[in-house]
Amino acid sequence: MTTQPTTPVIDPDTDETLDIDRPWQVVVWNDPVNTMSYVVYVFRKLFGYDELKATDLMLQVHHEGRAIVSDGPREQAEIDCFRLHNHGLWATVEQ
Amino acid sequence: MTHFHTTAQGIRVELSPEERLFLGDVLPLLAGIGVRGSDPAADRLTVPVYLDDPEANEEWWRLMGQDLEAGRQSDRAVFQKMVSSGEGPVLDDEEADAVLRVLNQARLALGARLGIDVEADHDELSEDSRQVMDYLGWIQEELTVELMRAL
Repeated sequence: MTTQPTTPVIDPDTDETLDIDRPWQVVVWNDPVNTMSYVVYVFRKLFGYDELKATDLMLQVHHEGRAIVSDGPREQAEIDCFRLHNHGLWATVEQ
Repeated sequence: MTHFHTTAQGIRVELSPEERLFLGDVLPLLAGIGVRGSDPAADRLTVPVYLDDPEANEEWWRLMGQDLEAGRQSDRAVFQKMVSSGEGPVLDDEEADAVLRVLNQARLALGARLGIDVEADHDELSEDSRQVMDYLGWIQEELTVELMRAL
């Protein structure tokens, strides 16, 4: 057994300091009741997206089941999530 | 015929007395939503925010849940005022948005209670249930289109 000091090895996959810098993402999930036009309206109103971007995101939600609609610091992601829930969209926060 | 018209003063609402009566029933429906775990409508309106972190999810709902509920109550008060008004109430943008959110919430709550888990389930509804969902969807769509013009 050796007692020599060793240089710590940083595993980039588990380094928590890197996690701090990774943006948090707000995901909107597909829903069988919300209408396409309503979802486009909410994306445009809440995030200021133009019609093309809002429609692209809505179609991604519809066809792929989910879409990342915004990202940033955790606090902002949670606020965005609140605004989406306030409009009845199912939004989650993930990193 | 459309129920919403943008004017210089705001969005004018044109509902028949029968429609006002019908839409008035939306409010007791929403007021009667139970608690999470016992009512699919409540489950739908309190969906998890953190899928892989129950503690963070509970914390989010603890911090945000009351504000969310307060906003919903405020929206319902605007909706109540609209259906209680006589001919042609006029809504400003914020009020129209509140009405839109209530209509959407009613469809989400009903959809959950009727067991609409995928879009095809809509076709399996009883005639009465489908008519209610379609009518609310129609009104919501008209208002969405009108509000979209202002963006």
